[in-house]
Amino acid sequence: MSDNRKKILEMLAQNKISADEAYRLLSAIDVGEVGPRDSGREGQLKSETSIKSKPRYLRVTVTPGDKHVDPEHADRVNVRVPMSLIRAGIKLTALIPPEALDKANNALKEKGINFDVRSIKSETIEELIDALGDMQVDVQSARGDNIKVFVE
Amino acid sequence: MNWPPMLMHIKIKNKNTKFGLWLPLFLLFPLALVIFIILSPLILIAVIVLWHTGWGKLALFSLKAAFVACWSLRGLKVDVQGPNECVSISII
Repeated sequence: MSDNRKKILEMLAQNKISADEAYRLLSAIDVGEVGPRDSGREGQLKSETSIKSKPRYLRVTVTPGDKHVDPEHADRVNVRVPMSLIRAGIKLTALIPPEALDKANNALKEKGINFDVRSIKSETIEELIDALGDMQVDVQSARGDNIKVFVE
Repeated sequence: MNWPPMLMHIKIKNKNTKFGLWLPLFLLFPLALVIFIILSPLILIAVIVLWHTGWGKLALFSLKAAFVACWSLRGLKVDVQGPNECVSISII
């Protein structure tokens, strides 16, 4: 077992990181180790496909952080949405009547979000999903909740 | 290949109730197929009648989209835990 793996498992045992974070770190190590183990073109190709592999799930987690006001009574959320469901859902937006889209756009504008729901097209969704692979949103709330949005 | 959802697990827990249910979706597929076969002539007639209005095409598209959405549910997991209650839905 490599030192990095051992360190991650120790951090998990000490509750310094969550199981999700440990999994993601171990996955990152796996990707990193493909190159040196498999030398040559094959190894390079494997490494590239691992890094560029399409995201399968969108994850949203809310966990109480170390500085949480009341960790025992904190809310915990763990949502995993398959990308295929998001694709199907976006295709379903074609069924929404134009009046409802106008209402949705107006509601977004009222909240200060200037976004046209009609601009979501199934043709552009693949590009968007690919781009999601590089995205991670980390937010720490005033109460001490850690909110994470990422793909895996 | 993307497999359809096989099982659905629902868990609801609060102060008063504790409820857990494993729903075997794979057993519901044959039932859904039978219902679809029985209703298909009616659906076909409705689509043909409404085709010139534009609603027929929309109905056909919505059927396909609903089927694809159901097929893609595998892997969905929603787990919300509050201080006194917990709701968990996972589709396997």
